[in-house]
Amino acid sequence: MTSHTFETMGTVVSLVLPDRAGSGQAVSAVTNRFRDFDERYSLYREDSELSRIARGELALTASSEVLRATYAAALDWRTATGGAFTPHRPDDTIDLNGIVKALAMQAAAQDILHAGFTDWCLNAGGDVLCSGREADGSPWQVGIVDPTNRASLLFAVSMDGARHAIATSGSAERGDHIWSATAIDPRFAQATVIADTIETADVLATAIIAGGSIALESILQRWRVDVLTVARDGEMTATPGFASLLASS
Amino acid sequence: MRTRATLSGIFASVAILLVGWEAGMAAITNTTTGATTTTTGTSAAPTPAPSASAVPGAGASTSPAPATAPSGSFTGSSVNTRYGDVQVQIVVASGTITDVKALRLTDADGRSVQISTRAAPILRSEVLSSQSARVSSVGGATYTSDAYLSSLQSALDQAGL
Repeated sequence: MTSHTFETMGTVVSLVLPDRAGSGQAVSAVTNRFRDFDERYSLYREDSELSRIARGELALTASSEVLRATYAAALDWRTATGGAFTPHRPDDTIDLNGIVKALAMQAAAQDILHAGFTDWCLNAGGDVLCSGREADGSPWQVGIVDPTNRASLLFAVSMDGARHAIATSGSAERGDHIWSATAIDPRFAQATVIADTIETADVLATAIIAGGSIALESILQRWRVDVLTVARDGEMTATPGFASLLASS
Repeated sequence: MRTRATLSGIFASVAILLVGWEAGMAAITNTTTGATTTTTGTSAAPTPAPSASAVPGAGASTSPAPATAPSGSFTGSSVNTRYGDVQVQIVVASGTITDVKALRLTDADGRSVQISTRAAPILRSEVLSSQSARVSSVGGATYTSDAYLSSLQSALDQAGL
């Protein structure tokens, strides 16, 4: 296995792939995939399509079909989470950062699978989507950093369950811009969600950070996900499924 | 106000449980009434008013239940609500509700809703014991390109696993 890294979307993507023919092409496909999403949606890029919409140079109705589909998906998440997740900044600018990285990861996963790889691990800025197993046949193990000490791990989970997507959202990281259409509940410092898709995991982790305990309860009633939260006072909660995935050694 | 409208969505699922509670209580009330016709009708302990405050344990503040107060599990009939089908079971000990279980809950589209998953407090030691695991990837709240350089993931990538 070799780890391939590249910079995109203001962060770094690491892709671990077996060393065999085709890995170079797979890495290229994934790199291009992230670049496409970055160029279309990143607001830090003045020339992105979304920046042109934000500046009023391009009407949303005249934007590309794919951008409108992404915006519609984000609005669906806004509705589903009761506004805890929202694609709108407080000044009403459309910001799709909360969903675009996950969508790029899902598209990249398809690229990797089409290239014939079934054992791989994709980490985009701290959100992890993996498939299959490590080279020695053991399940992928993902460590999650301690929000109070980035140099250490708080815990590690074994990705040997049915779900292979794990996303973490935190209120302390500058890279995470948490907005909400509801009042922000500052209870949680960090939330980690394991879900069927990285899109679900990422959005719901953000919604839990924004919506606090009420959002967490609501989400656990409506989605098949496992969650571990770290409150600002250090107290942690975990769903039974999450607790059973904690790595044993 | 917009905030109110958007809040309603997230409270909808809470409402499901409350509606379920009320629906279940309505059915259970009937059952209990039928079963206790021979006892005094003045004892209200087994059927506290369904409200948000009627959580398990709330009945403890009422006056001591008479010896004839019912114990056991009581299952309400399945009730169709605008949120979906709801069926609730309560566990009663000497007239005090000690537990409430939603036996069936579907959303408006008929899909079953998972409600057994609850986030429970977990001891730090339980979590920390997993720290020593050999990890292949390091997750966390999104880091910037700069932060990556000093991150554990960066160290892993450089080590080439």
